[in-house]
Amino acid sequence: MFDVIVRGGTVVDGSGAPGFQGDVAVKDGKIAAVGQVSGEARQVIDASGRVVAPGFIDPHTHFDVQLLWDGAAKPALEHGVTCVVPGNCSLSLAPLKAADRRAVVGMFQQIEEMPPEAFTTAFEWTWEDFAGYRAAIEKGLSINVAPLVGHSVIRLWVMGPAAQERAATPGEIAAMQDLLRECLDAGAVGLSTSFVDLDEHGRPVPSRYAQAEELDALAAVLGEYGRMLQVVPEFYATDITIARIDQLADLSIRHNIPTTFSPLFDTLAVPDNAERAIARVEEQFARGARVWPQMQTRPIDISFSLLRPSLFFARLPRWVRILRQPLDQRLAALRDPETREKMLADLGPDGGEAMFGRLIARGGDACPRALVGKTLSQIAKDRGQPAGLALIELSLENGLDVAFLSAGQGHQVTDRIGPMLAHPLVHIGASDGGAHLASFSTYGDTGYLFSEFVRKAGAMSLEKAVAKITSETADIWGLKDRGRLQPGLAADIVVFDAATIDREDELPVFDMPGDGMRYTRAARGVDTVLVNGAVAYSGGAYTDAKSGVVCV
Amino acid sequence: MPESALDEAVIVGAEIVAGHDGTAELVVRLLHPDGSEHPVLLDEDTGLKLMEACGASSLEDLYGQSWRRIVPDA
Repeated sequence: MFDVIVRGGTVVDGSGAPGFQGDVAVKDGKIAAVGQVSGEARQVIDASGRVVAPGFIDPHTHFDVQLLWDGAAKPALEHGVTCVVPGNCSLSLAPLKAADRRAVVGMFQQIEEMPPEAFTTAFEWTWEDFAGYRAAIEKGLSINVAPLVGHSVIRLWVMGPAAQERAATPGEIAAMQDLLRECLDAGAVGLSTSFVDLDEHGRPVPSRYAQAEELDALAAVLGEYGRMLQVVPEFYATDITIARIDQLADLSIRHNIPTTFSPLFDTLAVPDNAERAIARVEEQFARGARVWPQMQTRPIDISFSLLRPSLFFARLPRWVRILRQPLDQRLAALRDPETREKMLADLGPDGGEAMFGRLIARGGDACPRALVGKTLSQIAKDRGQPAGLALIELSLENGLDVAFLSAGQGHQVTDRIGPMLAHPLVHIGASDGGAHLASFSTYGDTGYLFSEFVRKAGAMSLEKAVAKITSETADIWGLKDRGRLQPGLAADIVVFDAATIDREDELPVFDMPGDGMRYTRAARGVDTVLVNGAVAYSGGAYTDAKSGVVCV
Repeated sequence: MPESALDEAVIVGAEIVAGHDGTAELVVRLLHPDGSEHPVLLDEDTGLKLMEACGASSLEDLYGQSWRRIVPDA
């Protein structure tokens, strides 16, 4: 008797091989059989007309804090993601001495934009070491977690405040090595570091004070375990990114470790950026290095309000001058009929319809909820105003704190990005799940992969897309029993409709501790998600299953 | 590399792009005295400061400005 049989679906097993009609049987949390399965099960899931695939793996997230009160990392799980990698960009919540918590909370708030209540009311700090953090999240996991340990917190543990002041001594480097070993023994799947990030005071995070010798010494420890080094390079400058690729390649070869850097994205302003980086990656792989560039699937949007000046208006000189003024003068100018008339005249005879009409009202603390998700064109029509005037007046009516979104302003050209995502050396990831909460949604990139790059553009087959975010990810990260529908491996399974799987529209929700707001996207076309053999999501609802584990 | 008549790098192009964190950022292209041209990505705050330092009310006003305007202390 099996525990579960997923019957009659198109089995896309994660290997990249063509899908086939069959069943997947589960026993004791593992996949027991794949193919035409006879026998009975306690639970049968009808998958006819659906794809049955391994659960997706998201290799770049910041769910470290959320996992302490939400073991499903919502809404990641409902998108078919069964394993997340938190602890990226040099930041994890362990190892962390009680005295250093405030400093690290500030760094997390800077990156994740999580409300302060998330750190003061949502959980109890019960740990200092990595094993303690692991135990704290393991109590309620519905999703699997493959956690990185952050270089910045390792540095802070060993050096205290000096971690953000100077290079480490040989003794301190040795202490960091010992601490990294302890974390890897406790379940960390690698080390993350950053050459870019800042704390809430605008100071470089501790990892940025490390000299090359320190990173080399830590990479040597990763080599003892064959574990991953994740890096945030200076992604805004192609030449520096290429230099980092070379540095990672040397570390990879010297210590026989996989490395990955994120983000890498396409921008029409620097059209050869991603192309040159990928070309260098190809050269380094040919040398025997493993340097995996992570590329996100979703386009990048621009978000702004009139509360602060934004470069979004850089092509409107008068608007720039007005919005750059101190708040009281800005408000006076925006209320002045003569000034407004001139501002609107700058937008052309359509009153800003062409320039602003496609903007989406997306929230902000003061945006009327009924308007969230509507285009400015719709709002203007309802108000009987031109789009430019509606933007100004709606903002004035709400203390200027109405955020507008200009969708698809970067990494947006599917015909350019599709082939890059399909490239055998490009690692699909960099979702940033759980971060940038108040700015944009970091969920649903897997659905977008299928809707945009498989169905719409045909940039890769369904089977290839599944392989990219399952078996290939598992192999890159050394997650040995994940990523494939194969007997003996963990029964992480997603059942979805290949014709409809997608991400829903972005919406603000107020589900963070302290009624904090974040932007999320619900899933479309995902029927059922099993984590280690237990149904964790089905028919649009989460179950009570707590079958997630810290997986290595 | 072809040499130019420039004494120092100047801005020869400017464009607004979407930043990784969802803000509008500014890419300026610098033409160097040796004739090479490179893009530099500026975050929103730095981009706005550059426009202010140059007295620029449009992107085109940045053209021909010294690279030193990007780093006021240089």
